Amino acid sequence: MEEKTRNKINETKLGFWKWAIGSVIFRLILIYFPKNFNLSSRPEVSTPVTSLRRLAEGYWLKQLSMSPYAGSMYHGSPLLLSVLGPLTAIKIEGQPNHLLCSLVSVIADFICALLIRATGRILQKAHGQNLKSLGLDTMLEDIEILPSGDIAALVYLWNPFTIFTCVGYNTSPVENLFAVLSLYGASSGIVPLAAFGWVIASHLSLYPVVLVIPVILLLGYCPDMPPRKLFLQRNLQKTGDERSTKSHIQHRPLTNKPAEATFFWWRVILFFLWASIWIAYVLILSAISVKEYGGLPEMFKRTYGFILTVKDLSPNIGVLWYFFAEVFDFFRNFFLIVFHVNILFMLLPLAIRLNHRPCFLAFVYLAISSMLKSYPSVGDSALYLGLMALFVNELADMQFSFFLFCGYVGVSLLSPVMHNLWIWRGTGNANFYFATAMAYACFQRKGEDSHPKCKFQMHANH
Amino acid sequence: MDVLFKSAAVLISIFLLLFCNAIPSVAYSSSSTMHTNNWAVLVCTSRFWFNYRHMANTLSLYRTVKRLGIPDERIILMLADDMACNARNKYPAQVFNNENHRLNLYGDNVEVDYRGYEVTVENFMRVLTGRHETAVPRSKRLLSDEGSHILLYMTGHGGDEFLKFQDSEELQSHDLADAVKQMKEKRRFKELLIMVDTCQAATLFSQLQSPGVLAIGSSMKGENSYSHHLDSDVGVSVVDRFTFYTLAYFERLNMYDNASLSSLFNSYNPNLLMSTAYYRTDLYGRQLEEVPVTNFFGSVMETIHTDSPYRAFSGKYSKIEIPLDQSDEVKQRRLKSSDVPQELTGSNITDKHVTCPVTRTWNAILGRIGMMKELDSLVNYGLILMFLIATGSSWFSS
Repeated sequence: MEEKTRNKINETKLGFWKWAIGSVIFRLILIYFPKNFNLSSRPEVSTPVTSLRRLAEGYWLKQLSMSPYAGSMYHGSPLLLSVLGPLTAIKIEGQPNHLLCSLVSVIADFICALLIRATGRILQKAHGQNLKSLGLDTMLEDIEILPSGDIAALVYLWNPFTIFTCVGYNTSPVENLFAVLSLYGASSGIVPLAAFGWVIASHLSLYPVVLVIPVILLLGYCPDMPPRKLFLQRNLQKTGDERSTKSHIQHRPLTNKPAEATFFWWRVILFFLWASIWIAYVLILSAISVKEYGGLPEMFKRTYGFILTVKDLSPNIGVLWYFFAEVFDFFRNFFLIVFHVNILFMLLPLAIRLNHRPCFLAFVYLAISSMLKSYPSVGDSALYLGLMALFVNELADMQFSFFLFCGYVGVSLLSPVMHNLWIWRGTGNANFYFATAMAYACFQRKGEDSHPKCKFQMHANH
Repeated sequence: MDVLFKSAAVLISIFLLLFCNAIPSVAYSSSSTMHTNNWAVLVCTSRFWFNYRHMANTLSLYRTVKRLGIPDERIILMLADDMACNARNKYPAQVFNNENHRLNLYGDNVEVDYRGYEVTVENFMRVLTGRHETAVPRSKRLLSDEGSHILLYMTGHGGDEFLKFQDSEELQSHDLADAVKQMKEKRRFKELLIMVDTCQAATLFSQLQSPGVLAIGSSMKGENSYSHHLDSDVGVSVVDRFTFYTLAYFERLNMYDNASLSSLFNSYNPNLLMSTAYYRTDLYGRQLEEVPVTNFFGSVMETIHTDSPYRAFSGKYSKIEIPLDQSDEVKQRRLKSSDVPQELTGSNITDKHVTCPVTRTWNAILGRIGMMKELDSLVNYGLILMFLIATGSSWFSS
């Protein structure tokens, strides 16, 4: 029995590395044929905040001793400019121009996949330990548990959205890397790494700042601790039959508090300490970087201010551009607040409901922010689709999975067609393209809705 | 008695005024003001494809005038129709004035100021007199001054005392004379050369009376001006005779030649033109042998050589290099002007008014950083350090 499982684990391990290296080679092949795809100019792939062309322009402006934010082209972090800027300028003869930046994207994708795999392993181990402590470890041998870490990493690597993002010459892979780094650091308990990942991810793009809640929960509790009511049932099961289910529940008061329900406050405080160190460091570096061009206030106005005030209304797969193209100036600030609060007001109820599953909470937050953020791209959905596969064991009986899959495929095929009809041929109008954007948001919403439902059904079935 | 004296005084003053006005003001036409710049107003007044040659005439003169030095800012080009992009033009975006197609007159350096239906008698008069509406841009205005020499070239269909605009309007000779008189009153030119290539061209400037005006027309009253040759490939006549021979004369010249106007005017052979090129010099004070053609057709600017650089920026470099043979006064002047930028930079570094130690240390740090010219390398070192700290701390914590 043990050898069989060991062989199975070894096979899956080898299978994983085979597929991972295969995906890297596939990306490298695709990098050498960029002109065929022209992905960097697609609005679904590169947005005003992630486009590497804009970064190259910002770097060039900086080389000319002008502010990199002049002309409203570049809206990202000045530190990213110092790292990726020289790479956009170096041209190797005989190779495509953007080779170095695409290599950076490939490496970032690969590291991200490895981190997702490690996070999945930690989650599985913790899940196994929790089940053992509940006395349900016999379940482990009956049900075939899939290695969720490996599957999630492979889903992330072979997801067409991720491949488009990687080949499409933008900075989303790097942003996704830091978001996953923070989750990995939090789930493995490495506090400075979690703080580092969180600070850098929210510095590069504003929205990962909502990940602070799942990271605190992950650091405070162990990863994916089951809810307290399961510990109540544990006492029942030990005293009564093994088959005693919903019909015979008697809530006896617990004599002793379960040991796993403690919240490690000191880790959270340490997290905030490290986070403040990293925030100060990043801000000082950015201030030095933009000292001559208006300083930090200018940087905040051009990066976070741009994301929050939605100045650029070029079409993308989000839902904000269409609305803000028509809104009257008098109501513009009001509706900006409405749209951004739309993300914020969902944070607290979800945190209350899902506080025992912080990784899943992180996934839901990322899905919500990628749906409602001001400049979404397929890179954001690549991230949360990869994270979704971490919970493949729990989501085995998700409703509408085939419908959602077909929906995603359909939207990703129709969206460029509608864009072409609207902009290049002129036989369509903005409504065509916005319809696909809305359909995309609906499918994302439906996907999120069906997940908690099935999870709670699973809990009720225990 | 008082009334007599008063009336006598009034009468004498009136006589004096009349007497003064009666003296023709030829005296201050040419000699008192300096020749400052050259302008060219080139007008083609004909529309429709079969008037290709008028467009080619104007564009040929445009090219010549530009080649000899007048820049686009001082050329007003009025073309009544578009031959280059005409649907009937076999050579799109190309206009030729010879059937050998050697020269494309419509290259990528043609700036047309009035095009199509903007070429009207009203706009022409407005250009000459300078009486535009406020919204007219500067490129469409004749911004000449009292030292300007203006070349006015008109081509199209004309007749006895008129020139036809756009097949629907006429510019009459007294209109032209009136406009020129207004220009003279407003001191918009020093000398004016009017060149007309139409049928019965000389009648167009028969009413001129303003001094300082020289006029030449391709034909006299009762004569027609003829086209030179037909280009069977383009399908229409491509140039008129008068302009053809004018161009033949100018193609031999460059910017620095001082061929005289008289040689130009004498180069017209009535047998080749099949008409008499008539010119009018009675209003023009000078002798044609002394006037170079570049006075009107080109633009030679006088260059002044200097050995020293501009004085305004010498303050910056004075600390480093002061030539030893300068006088002491100059040295003092330069030193004084260099003190000003020094003060500005000095205040940033040594600011004694700020007492808060934090801001003072911050200013000191910024100052030291500011002295480091490679901020980028500092940021790069900072980033590398950040990653090292991150990996080190996470390795320690795991």
